[in-house]
Amino acid sequence: MSALLKIEGLCKVYDDDSREHAVIDDLNLEVAQGEFLCILGPSGCGKTTLLRCIAGFEHCKGKILVDGREITGPGTDRIMVFQDFNQLFPWLTVEKNIQFALKRQGIRDRARLEAITSDVLKKVKMDGHERDYPYQLSGGMKQRVAIARALALKPAIILMDEPFAALDAITRNTLQQEVLAISQQENCTFIFITHNIQEGIVLGTRLMLMQPGGKIAIDTKNPIARPVSPSSPGYGPLWDRLYAALYDTQHANNT
Amino acid sequence: MTKKTPLKGIAEKLIFVAVILAAWEIVARAHVFGARSEIIFPRLETIARAFVKNFVMGYAGVSLWVYLFNSMKLLLEGMAIGILLAFLFSGLCMVSHGFHNVYSLVVAVADLLPGVALLPVVIIIFGVNPGVIVFLVVHSVIWPMSRNLIDGFKSVPKLYVEAGRNLGLSGAGMLFDVYFPAAMSYILSGLKVGWARAWRGLISAEMIFGIAAAPGIGMYINQMRTNMNNAEMYATLVVIIIIGLVVQYGILNPIEKHTVVKWGMRKL
Repeated sequence: MSALLKIEGLCKVYDDDSREHAVIDDLNLEVAQGEFLCILGPSGCGKTTLLRCIAGFEHCKGKILVDGREITGPGTDRIMVFQDFNQLFPWLTVEKNIQFALKRQGIRDRARLEAITSDVLKKVKMDGHERDYPYQLSGGMKQRVAIARALALKPAIILMDEPFAALDAITRNTLQQEVLAISQQENCTFIFITHNIQEGIVLGTRLMLMQPGGKIAIDTKNPIARPVSPSSPGYGPLWDRLYAALYDTQHANNT
Repeated sequence: MTKKTPLKGIAEKLIFVAVILAAWEIVARAHVFGARSEIIFPRLETIARAFVKNFVMGYAGVSLWVYLFNSMKLLLEGMAIGILLAFLFSGLCMVSHGFHNVYSLVVAVADLLPGVALLPVVIIIFGVNPGVIVFLVVHSVIWPMSRNLIDGFKSVPKLYVEAGRNLGLSGAGMLFDVYFPAAMSYILSGLKVGWARAWRGLISAEMIFGIAAAPGIGMYINQMRTNMNNAEMYATLVVIIIIGLVVQYGILNPIEKHTVVKWGMRKL
Protein backbone atom coordinates (compact mmCIF):
# COMPACT_ATOMS: atom_id res chain seq x y z
CA MET A 1 0.00 0.00 0.00
CA SER A 2 1.36 3.37 -0.93
CA ALA A 3 1.59 6.10 1.68
CA LEU A 4 -1.23 8.64 2.08
CA LEU A 5 1.28 11.44 2.59
CA LYS A 6 4.64 11.41 0.90
CA ILE A 7 7.22 14.15 1.39
CA GLU A 8 10.33 14.13 -0.80
CA GLY A 9 13.34 16.39 -0.37
CA LEU A 10 11.48 19.13 1.51
CA CYS A 11 13.51 22.30 2.04
CA LYS A 12 12.29 25.48 3.65
CA VAL A 13 14.49 28.53 3.93
CA TYR A 14 13.51 31.65 5.85
CA ASP A 15 15.03 34.91 4.78
CA ASP A 16 15.60 37.21 7.72
CA ASP A 17 17.99 40.19 7.77
CA SER A 18 19.62 39.08 4.53
CA ARG A 19 20.72 35.93 6.33
CA GLU A 20 19.25 32.75 4.93
CA HIS A 21 18.28 30.22 7.52
CA ALA A 22 17.32 26.69 6.52
CA VAL A 23 14.63 25.50 8.94
CA ILE A 24 14.11 22.26 7.09
CA ASP A 25 16.81 20.77 4.90
CA ASP A 26 16.01 17.77 2.73
CA LEU A 27 13.32 16.09 4.79
CA ASN A 28 11.76 12.85 3.58
CA LEU A 29 8.70 11.35 5.23
CA GLU A 30 5.92 8.91 4.51
CA VAL A 31 2.74 8.66 6.54
CA ALA A 32 0.30 5.79 6.05
CA GLN A 33 -3.47 6.09 6.06
CA GLY A 34 -4.89 5.91 9.60
CA GLU A 35 -1.63 6.68 11.39
CA PHE A 36 -1.52 9.05 14.34
CA LEU A 37 1.89 10.64 13.98
CA CYS A 38 3.10 12.67 16.94
CA ILE A 39 6.03 14.96 16.28
CA LEU A 40 8.18 16.05 19.21
CA GLY A 41 11.14 18.36 19.13
CA PRO A 42 12.71 21.42 20.69
CA SER A 43 11.51 24.90 19.81
CA GLY A 44 12.76 26.06 16.43
CA CYS A 45 13.43 22.57 15.08
CA GLY A 46 11.00 23.04 12.21
CA LYS A 47 7.97 21.08 13.49
CA THR A 48 5.50 23.86 12.90
CA THR A 49 7.13 24.76 9.59
CA LEU A 50 6.75 21.15 8.46
CA LEU A 51 3.08 21.19 9.40
CA ARG A 52 2.54 24.53 7.62
CA CYS A 53 4.22 23.16 4.50
CA ILE A 54 1.89 20.15 4.56
CA ALA A 55 -1.08 22.50 5.05
CA GLY A 56 0.06 24.45 1.99
CA PHE A 57 0.63 27.76 3.80
CA GLU A 58 4.35 27.99 2.96
CA HIS A 59 6.31 28.14 -0.25
CA CYS A 60 8.89 25.40 -0.06
CA LYS A 61 11.14 23.28 -2.23
CA GLY A 62 10.58 19.58 -2.67
CA LYS A 63 7.47 17.54 -3.21
CA ILE A 64 4.48 16.95 -0.95
CA LEU A 65 2.03 14.38 -2.24
CA VAL A 66 -1.32 13.53 -0.69
CA ASP A 67 -2.89 10.39 -2.09
CA GLY A 68 -0.46 10.56 -4.99
CA ARG A 69 -1.30 14.15 -5.97
CA GLU A 70 1.17 16.94 -5.46
CA ILE A 71 -0.24 19.77 -3.36
CA THR A 72 0.05 23.36 -4.53
CA GLY A 73 -1.74 25.26 -1.74
CA PRO A 74 -4.15 24.92 1.16
CA GLY A 75 -7.06 22.54 0.72
CA THR A 76 -9.89 21.00 2.67
CA ASP A 77 -8.25 17.56 2.41
CA ARG A 78 -5.74 18.82 5.02
CA ILE A 79 -7.35 20.78 7.86
CA MET A 80 -5.21 22.56 10.41
CA VAL A 81 -6.19 22.93 14.05
CA PHE A 82 -4.09 25.81 15.34
CA GLN A 83 -2.75 26.32 18.84
CA ASP A 84 -4.44 29.72 19.06
CA PHE A 85 -7.94 29.55 20.58
CA ASN A 86 -9.09 32.36 18.30
CA GLN A 87 -9.12 30.33 15.13
CA LEU A 88 -12.93 30.24 15.01
CA PHE A 89 -14.54 33.17 13.21
CA PRO A 90 -15.97 35.34 16.03
CA TRP A 91 -18.77 36.66 13.79
CA LEU A 92 -20.26 33.21 13.26
CA THR A 93 -22.02 31.00 15.79
CA VAL A 94 -20.58 27.58 16.56
CA GLU A 95 -22.86 25.90 14.01
CA LYS A 96 -22.23 28.52 11.33
CA ASN A 97 -18.49 28.15 11.86
CA ILE A 98 -18.84 24.45 11.12
CA GLN A 99 -21.26 24.88 8.22
CA PHE A 100 -19.27 27.68 6.60
CA ALA A 101 -16.83 25.43 4.76
CA LEU A 102 -19.47 22.74 4.13
CA LYS A 103 -21.56 25.30 2.25
CA ARG A 104 -18.57 26.26 0.17
CA GLN A 105 -18.20 22.60 -0.73
CA GLY A 106 -21.68 22.77 -2.23
CA ILE A 107 -23.75 21.26 0.58
CA ARG A 108 -26.87 23.47 0.58
CA ASP A 109 -29.47 21.12 2.04
CA ARG A 110 -30.30 22.50 5.46
CA ALA A 111 -31.27 19.18 7.01
CA ARG A 112 -28.00 17.64 5.88
CA LEU A 113 -25.96 20.59 7.17
CA GLU A 114 -27.67 20.33 10.54
CA ALA A 115 -27.18 16.58 10.67
CA ILE A 116 -23.44 16.89 10.01
CA THR A 117 -23.13 19.73 12.56
CA SER A 118 -24.93 17.89 15.32
CA ASP A 119 -22.95 14.72 14.58
CA VAL A 120 -19.52 16.38 14.85
CA LEU A 121 -20.52 18.46 17.86
CA LYS A 122 -21.60 15.28 19.67
CA LYS A 123 -18.22 13.76 18.88
CA VAL A 124 -16.43 16.59 20.68
CA LYS A 125 -19.12 16.78 23.41
CA MET A 126 -20.20 20.26 22.41
CA ASP A 127 -23.83 19.54 21.51
CA GLY A 128 -26.11 22.19 22.94
CA HIS A 129 -23.70 25.00 22.05
CA GLU A 130 -24.81 25.37 18.41
CA ARG A 131 -26.06 28.94 18.82
CA ASP A 132 -23.20 30.23 20.99
CA TYR A 133 -20.71 32.73 19.67
CA PRO A 134 -17.03 31.83 20.15
CA TYR A 135 -16.47 34.60 22.73
CA GLN A 136 -18.98 32.83 24.99
CA LEU A 137 -16.83 29.67 25.09
CA SER A 138 -13.77 28.76 27.17
CA GLY A 139 -10.42 27.98 25.53
CA GLY A 140 -10.94 24.23 25.72
CA MET A 141 -14.43 24.52 24.25
CA LYS A 142 -13.13 26.60 21.35
CA GLN A 143 -10.53 23.93 20.59
CA ARG A 144 -13.27 21.28 20.65
CA VAL A 145 -15.27 23.28 18.13
CA ALA A 146 -12.17 23.74 15.97
CA ILE A 147 -11.72 19.97 15.98
CA ALA A 148 -15.40 19.53 15.13
CA ARG A 149 -15.04 21.98 12.24
CA ALA A 150 -12.13 19.91 10.95
CA LEU A 151 -13.99 16.60 11.34
CA ALA A 152 -17.06 17.94 9.48
CA LEU A 153 -15.02 18.35 6.31
CA LYS A 154 -13.88 14.71 6.42
CA PRO A 155 -10.30 15.61 5.55
CA ALA A 156 -7.71 12.98 4.66
CA ILE A 157 -5.34 14.47 7.22
CA ILE A 158 -5.97 16.55 10.34
CA LEU A 159 -2.96 18.67 11.22
CA MET A 160 -2.73 19.74 14.85
CA ASP A 161 -0.14 22.26 16.00
CA GLU A 162 0.08 21.94 19.78
CA PRO A 163 -3.67 22.45 20.06
CA PHE A 164 -3.73 21.85 23.82
CA ALA A 165 -0.50 23.60 24.81
CA ALA A 166 -2.27 26.60 26.32
CA LEU A 167 -4.84 24.59 28.28
CA ASP A 168 -4.78 23.66 31.95
CA ALA A 169 -3.62 20.13 32.80
CA ILE A 170 -7.08 18.73 33.56
CA THR A 171 -8.71 20.04 30.40
CA ARG A 172 -5.68 18.90 28.46
CA ASN A 173 -5.99 15.31 29.71
CA THR A 174 -9.71 15.24 28.97
CA LEU A 175 -9.18 16.52 25.45
CA GLN A 176 -6.38 14.01 24.86
CA GLN A 177 -8.77 11.19 25.72
CA GLU A 178 -11.40 12.61 23.42
CA VAL A 179 -9.03 13.08 20.49
CA LEU A 180 -7.82 9.52 21.06
CA ALA A 181 -11.39 8.20 20.95
CA ILE A 182 -12.16 10.24 17.83
CA SER A 183 -9.00 9.03 16.09
CA GLN A 184 -10.04 5.45 16.75
CA GLN A 185 -13.54 6.00 15.32
CA GLU A 186 -12.68 8.16 12.33
CA ASN A 187 -11.07 7.01 9.15
CA CYS A 188 -8.61 9.87 9.30
CA THR A 189 -4.88 10.41 9.57
CA PHE A 190 -3.52 12.73 12.25
CA ILE A 191 -0.26 14.64 12.41
CA PHE A 192 0.06 16.13 15.87
CA ILE A 193 2.79 18.42 17.13
CA THR A 194 3.52 18.57 20.84
CA HIS A 195 6.21 19.52 23.31
CA ASN A 196 4.77 17.10 25.80
CA ILE A 197 6.26 13.57 25.78
CA GLN A 198 3.33 12.11 27.74
CA GLU A 199 0.89 13.55 25.20
CA GLY A 200 2.89 12.06 22.34
CA ILE A 201 2.98 8.58 23.88
CA VAL A 202 -0.72 8.62 24.82
CA LEU A 203 -1.95 9.76 21.41
CA GLY A 204 0.55 8.60 18.81
CA THR A 205 0.61 5.30 16.98
CA ARG A 206 3.93 6.57 15.67
CA LEU A 207 6.38 8.94 17.34
CA MET A 208 8.87 11.16 15.62
CA LEU A 209 11.49 13.39 17.17
CA MET A 210 12.92 16.24 15.13
CA GLN A 211 16.22 18.03 15.56
CA PRO A 212 17.09 21.56 14.48
CA GLY A 213 17.32 21.74 10.69
CA GLY A 214 14.39 19.40 10.36
CA LYS A 215 16.48 16.25 10.87
CA ILE A 216 14.50 13.26 12.06
CA ALA A 217 16.32 11.81 15.09
CA ILE A 218 13.78 9.19 16.13
CA ASP A 219 10.98 7.70 14.05
CA THR A 220 9.34 4.73 15.70
CA LYS A 221 6.03 2.94 15.99
CA ASN A 222 4.52 3.35 19.43
CA PRO A 223 4.92 -0.13 20.94
CA ILE A 224 2.65 0.49 23.92
CA ALA A 225 -0.84 -0.98 23.81
CA ARG A 226 -3.70 1.54 24.09
CA PRO A 227 -5.05 2.96 26.31
CA VAL A 228 -1.68 4.18 27.48
CA SER A 229 -1.04 5.18 31.08
CA PRO A 230 2.26 5.83 32.89
CA SER A 231 1.93 2.32 34.38
CA SER A 232 1.67 0.66 30.95
CA PRO A 233 4.52 -1.77 30.30
CA GLY A 234 7.26 -0.05 28.32
CA TYR A 235 6.08 3.50 29.10
CA GLY A 236 9.08 4.33 31.26
CA PRO A 237 11.85 3.27 28.85
CA LEU A 238 10.12 4.97 25.90
CA TRP A 239 9.66 8.17 27.89
CA ASP A 240 13.34 8.05 28.93
CA ARG A 241 14.49 7.51 25.36
CA LEU A 242 12.46 10.43 24.04
CA TYR A 243 13.41 12.64 26.95
CA ALA A 244 17.13 11.90 26.50
CA ALA A 245 16.95 12.62 22.76
CA LEU A 246 14.93 15.77 23.31
CA TYR A 247 17.36 16.95 25.98
CA ASP A 248 20.36 16.11 23.80
CA THR A 249 19.07 18.08 20.84
CA GLN A 250 18.12 20.96 23.08
CA HIS A 251 21.51 20.84 24.74
CA ALA A 252 23.32 20.63 21.41
CA ASN A 253 21.20 23.52 20.21
CA ASN A 254 22.18 25.72 23.12
CA THR A 255 25.92 25.11 23.03
CA MET B 1 -21.68 47.38 41.37
CA THR B 2 -25.20 47.29 40.01
CA LYS B 3 -25.78 46.36 36.41
CA LYS B 4 -26.43 49.34 34.19
CA THR B 5 -29.86 49.12 32.63
CA PRO B 6 -30.73 50.84 29.35
CA LEU B 7 -33.45 52.76 31.20
CA LYS B 8 -30.90 54.22 33.60
CA GLY B 9 -28.72 55.26 30.68
CA ILE B 10 -31.63 57.09 29.07
CA ALA B 11 -32.56 58.74 32.38
CA GLU B 12 -29.02 60.07 32.82
CA LYS B 13 -29.07 61.60 29.37
CA LEU B 14 -32.52 63.12 29.88
CA ILE B 15 -31.48 64.71 33.17
CA PHE B 16 -28.42 66.20 31.48
CA VAL B 17 -30.53 67.68 28.67
CA ALA B 18 -33.08 69.04 31.18
CA VAL B 19 -30.33 70.78 33.16
CA ILE B 20 -28.90 72.40 30.00
CA LEU B 21 -32.38 73.58 28.92
CA ALA B 22 -33.14 74.94 32.40
CA ALA B 23 -29.83 76.85 32.43
CA TRP B 24 -30.65 78.28 28.99
CA GLU B 25 -34.07 79.42 30.14
CA ILE B 26 -32.67 81.04 33.29
CA VAL B 27 -30.08 82.96 31.26
CA ALA B 28 -32.76 83.95 28.74
CA ARG B 29 -35.14 85.26 31.41
CA ALA B 30 -32.39 87.09 33.30
CA HIS B 31 -31.60 89.25 30.23
CA VAL B 32 -27.89 88.80 30.90
CA PHE B 33 -26.95 90.47 27.62
CA GLY B 34 -29.31 93.38 28.04
CA ALA B 35 -30.98 94.49 24.83
CA ARG B 36 -29.27 91.83 22.75
CA SER B 37 -30.42 89.07 25.07
CA GLU B 38 -33.54 88.22 23.11
CA ILE B 39 -31.42 87.67 20.00
CA ILE B 40 -28.57 85.75 21.60
CA PHE B 41 -30.66 83.77 24.08
CA PRO B 42 -34.27 83.58 22.89
CA ARG B 43 -36.56 81.86 25.38
CA LEU B 44 -37.23 78.17 24.87
CA GLU B 45 -40.86 78.89 24.10
CA THR B 46 -39.85 81.30 21.32
CA ILE B 47 -37.51 78.67 19.84
CA ALA B 48 -40.23 76.03 20.07
CA ARG B 49 -42.67 78.30 18.22
CA ALA B 50 -39.98 79.02 15.61
CA PHE B 51 -39.40 75.28 15.27
CA VAL B 52 -43.06 74.73 14.38
CA LYS B 53 -43.12 77.81 12.17
CA ASN B 54 -40.10 76.55 10.20
CA PHE B 55 -42.05 73.51 9.13
CA VAL B 56 -45.50 75.08 8.78
CA MET B 57 -44.65 78.37 7.10
CA GLY B 58 -40.99 78.05 6.23
CA TYR B 59 -39.18 80.81 4.37
CA ALA B 60 -40.80 82.63 1.45
CA GLY B 61 -43.60 80.08 1.47
CA VAL B 62 -41.27 77.06 1.24
CA SER B 63 -41.38 74.76 4.27
CA LEU B 64 -38.20 73.56 5.98
CA TRP B 65 -39.29 70.06 4.95
CA VAL B 66 -38.42 70.93 1.35
CA TYR B 67 -34.96 72.20 2.32
CA LEU B 68 -34.45 69.15 4.52
CA PHE B 69 -35.52 66.79 1.75
CA ASN B 70 -33.11 68.42 -0.73
CA SER B 71 -30.22 68.17 1.74
CA MET B 72 -30.91 64.57 2.65
CA LYS B 73 -31.23 63.54 -0.97
CA LEU B 74 -27.83 65.00 -1.88
CA LEU B 75 -26.31 63.67 1.33
CA LEU B 76 -27.49 60.12 0.72
CA GLU B 77 -26.37 60.21 -2.92
CA GLY B 78 -22.94 61.46 -1.92
CA MET B 79 -22.55 59.02 0.96
CA ALA B 80 -23.59 56.05 -1.17
CA ILE B 81 -21.07 56.97 -3.87
CA GLY B 82 -18.35 57.77 -1.30
CA ILE B 83 -18.81 54.55 0.65
CA LEU B 84 -18.90 52.40 -2.48
CA LEU B 85 -15.75 54.03 -3.87
CA ALA B 86 -14.00 53.68 -0.49
CA PHE B 87 -14.81 49.96 -0.44
CA LEU B 88 -13.71 49.57 -4.05
CA PHE B 89 -10.39 51.39 -3.67
CA SER B 90 -9.58 49.88 -0.27
CA GLY B 91 -10.38 46.43 -1.65
CA LEU B 92 -8.02 47.10 -4.58
CA CYS B 93 -5.34 48.13 -2.08
CA MET B 94 -5.50 44.64 -0.60
CA VAL B 95 -5.02 43.09 -4.05
CA SER B 96 -2.31 45.34 -5.51
CA HIS B 97 0.74 46.68 -3.68
CA GLY B 98 1.32 49.34 -6.34
CA PHE B 99 -2.25 50.62 -6.06
CA HIS B 100 -1.98 50.66 -2.26
CA ASN B 101 1.23 52.64 -2.45
CA VAL B 102 -0.28 55.34 -4.68
CA TYR B 103 -3.68 55.38 -3.00
CA SER B 104 -2.12 55.90 0.47
CA LEU B 105 -0.54 59.08 -0.88
CA VAL B 106 -3.82 60.22 -2.43
CA VAL B 107 -5.68 59.64 0.86
CA ALA B 108 -3.00 61.41 2.90
CA VAL B 109 -3.16 64.46 0.64
CA ALA B 110 -6.88 64.60 -0.09
CA ASP B 111 -8.03 63.97 3.48
CA LEU B 112 -6.30 67.16 4.58
CA LEU B 113 -8.05 69.36 2.02
CA PRO B 114 -11.22 70.92 3.47
CA GLY B 115 -14.08 70.35 1.05
CA VAL B 116 -15.11 73.99 1.29
CA ALA B 117 -11.65 75.03 0.10
CA LEU B 118 -12.17 72.95 -3.02
CA LEU B 119 -15.60 74.46 -3.72
CA PRO B 120 -14.46 77.41 -5.88
CA VAL B 121 -12.51 75.12 -8.17
CA VAL B 122 -15.31 72.58 -8.30
CA ILE B 123 -17.80 75.29 -9.18
CA ILE B 124 -15.57 76.61 -11.96
CA ILE B 125 -15.42 73.11 -13.41
CA PHE B 126 -18.97 71.89 -12.88
CA GLY B 127 -20.95 75.12 -12.51
CA VAL B 128 -23.39 75.85 -9.71
CA ASN B 129 -25.57 72.76 -9.55
CA PRO B 130 -26.51 70.10 -7.00
CA GLY B 131 -23.72 67.87 -8.32
CA VAL B 132 -21.24 70.17 -6.58
CA ILE B 133 -22.76 69.33 -3.19
CA VAL B 134 -22.70 65.62 -4.01
CA PHE B 135 -19.05 65.97 -5.00
CA LEU B 136 -18.33 67.60 -1.66
CA VAL B 137 -20.11 64.89 0.31
CA VAL B 138 -18.19 62.20 -1.60
CA HIS B 139 -14.97 64.05 -0.78
CA SER B 140 -15.90 64.18 2.93
CA VAL B 141 -16.75 60.46 3.15
CA ILE B 142 -14.31 58.67 0.89
CA TRP B 143 -10.99 59.53 2.58
CA PRO B 144 -11.75 58.84 6.26
CA MET B 145 -13.70 55.76 5.20
CA SER B 146 -10.75 54.54 3.08
CA ARG B 147 -8.32 55.14 5.94
CA ASN B 148 -10.45 53.05 8.27
CA LEU B 149 -11.07 50.29 5.75
CA ILE B 150 -7.39 49.94 4.86
CA ASP B 151 -6.39 49.99 8.55
CA GLY B 152 -9.14 47.48 9.27
CA PHE B 153 -8.13 45.11 6.48
CA LYS B 154 -4.50 45.32 7.57
CA SER B 155 -5.41 44.46 11.16
CA VAL B 156 -7.26 41.28 10.24
CA PRO B 157 -5.42 38.55 12.19
CA LYS B 158 -3.32 36.28 9.98
CA LEU B 159 -4.99 33.38 11.77
CA TYR B 160 -8.42 34.18 10.26
CA VAL B 161 -6.89 34.50 6.81
CA GLU B 162 -5.09 31.17 7.12
CA ALA B 163 -8.15 29.45 8.57
CA GLY B 164 -10.13 30.91 5.66
CA ARG B 165 -7.60 29.68 3.09
CA ASN B 166 -7.65 26.28 4.74
CA LEU B 167 -11.44 26.15 4.46
CA GLY B 168 -11.24 26.92 0.75
CA LEU B 169 -11.51 30.71 0.54
CA SER B 170 -9.66 32.97 -1.86
CA GLY B 171 -10.13 36.24 -3.74
CA ALA B 172 -13.58 37.81 -3.42
CA GLY B 173 -14.78 35.05 -1.09
CA MET B 174 -11.98 35.88 1.32
CA LEU B 175 -12.78 39.60 1.07
CA PHE B 176 -16.49 39.19 1.80
CA ASP B 177 -16.40 36.28 4.25
CA VAL B 178 -13.27 37.11 6.26
CA TYR B 179 -11.93 40.63 5.67
CA PHE B 180 -15.27 42.48 5.89
CA PRO B 181 -16.61 40.88 9.07
CA ALA B 182 -13.18 40.82 10.72
CA ALA B 183 -12.72 44.54 9.99
CA MET B 184 -16.28 45.43 11.02
CA SER B 185 -15.21 47.59 14.00
CA TYR B 186 -13.07 49.71 11.68
CA ILE B 187 -15.79 49.87 9.02
CA LEU B 188 -18.27 51.19 11.59
CA SER B 189 -15.78 53.75 12.90
CA GLY B 190 -15.22 54.85 9.31
CA LEU B 191 -18.96 55.19 8.79
CA LYS B 192 -19.32 57.33 11.91
CA VAL B 193 -16.50 59.69 10.94
CA GLY B 194 -17.60 59.70 7.30
CA TRP B 195 -21.20 60.49 8.13
CA ALA B 196 -20.27 63.31 10.50
CA ARG B 197 -17.87 64.87 8.00
CA ALA B 198 -20.40 64.56 5.20
CA TRP B 199 -23.19 66.19 7.21
CA ARG B 200 -20.94 69.06 8.27
CA GLY B 201 -19.46 69.47 4.79
CA LEU B 202 -22.90 69.56 3.25
CA ILE B 203 -24.20 72.27 5.56
CA SER B 204 -21.04 74.39 5.15
CA ALA B 205 -21.26 74.15 1.38
CA GLU B 206 -24.95 75.03 1.36
CA MET B 207 -24.32 78.04 3.61
CA ILE B 208 -21.54 79.40 1.45
CA PHE B 209 -22.83 78.50 -2.01
CA GLY B 210 -26.55 77.98 -1.63
CA ILE B 211 -27.78 76.32 -4.76
CA ALA B 212 -31.10 77.69 -5.89
CA ALA B 213 -31.99 74.57 -7.86
CA ALA B 214 -31.90 72.50 -4.68
CA PRO B 215 -31.98 74.77 -1.62
CA GLY B 216 -30.91 72.83 1.47
CA ILE B 217 -30.89 73.18 5.23
CA GLY B 218 -27.60 75.13 5.23
CA MET B 219 -29.12 77.71 2.92
CA TYR B 220 -32.13 77.93 5.20
CA ILE B 221 -29.96 78.73 8.21
CA ASN B 222 -28.18 81.36 6.18
CA GLN B 223 -31.47 82.98 5.17
CA MET B 224 -32.56 83.06 8.83
CA ARG B 225 -29.25 84.68 9.71
CA THR B 226 -29.62 87.32 6.99
CA ASN B 227 -33.08 88.20 8.27
CA MET B 228 -32.03 88.17 11.93
CA ASN B 229 -34.58 85.42 12.64
CA ASN B 230 -32.41 84.07 15.43
CA ALA B 231 -35.05 81.90 17.07
CA GLU B 232 -35.66 80.24 13.68
CA MET B 233 -31.91 79.81 13.29
CA TYR B 234 -31.66 78.05 16.65
CA ALA B 235 -34.70 75.95 15.79
CA THR B 236 -32.97 74.83 12.57
CA LEU B 237 -29.86 73.90 14.59
CA VAL B 238 -32.15 71.77 16.74
CA VAL B 239 -33.35 70.02 13.57
CA ILE B 240 -29.74 69.31 12.62
CA ILE B 241 -29.08 67.94 16.11
CA ILE B 242 -32.19 65.74 15.95
CA ILE B 243 -31.10 64.29 12.61
CA GLY B 244 -27.65 63.57 14.05
CA LEU B 245 -29.20 61.80 17.04
CA VAL B 246 -31.54 59.76 14.85
CA VAL B 247 -28.62 58.57 12.72
CA GLN B 248 -26.47 57.78 15.78
CA TYR B 249 -29.09 56.06 17.93
CA GLY B 250 -31.48 54.86 15.25
CA ILE B 251 -29.05 53.56 12.63
CA LEU B 252 -25.40 53.35 13.70
CA ASN B 253 -25.87 52.02 17.24
CA PRO B 254 -28.30 49.26 16.19
CA ILE B 255 -25.89 48.16 13.44
CA GLU B 256 -23.12 48.04 16.03
CA LYS B 257 -25.30 46.13 18.48
CA HIS B 258 -26.22 43.51 15.90
CA THR B 259 -22.68 42.98 14.66
CA VAL B 260 -19.50 43.67 16.64
CA VAL B 261 -21.20 43.80 20.05
CA LYS B 262 -23.12 40.57 19.39
CA TRP B 263 -19.89 38.91 18.26
CA GLY B 264 -18.04 39.95 21.42
CA MET B 265 -15.61 42.07 19.39
CA ARG B 266 -16.57 45.35 21.07
CA LYS B 267 -18.51 46.61 24.06
CA LEU B 268 -21.50 48.87 23.51
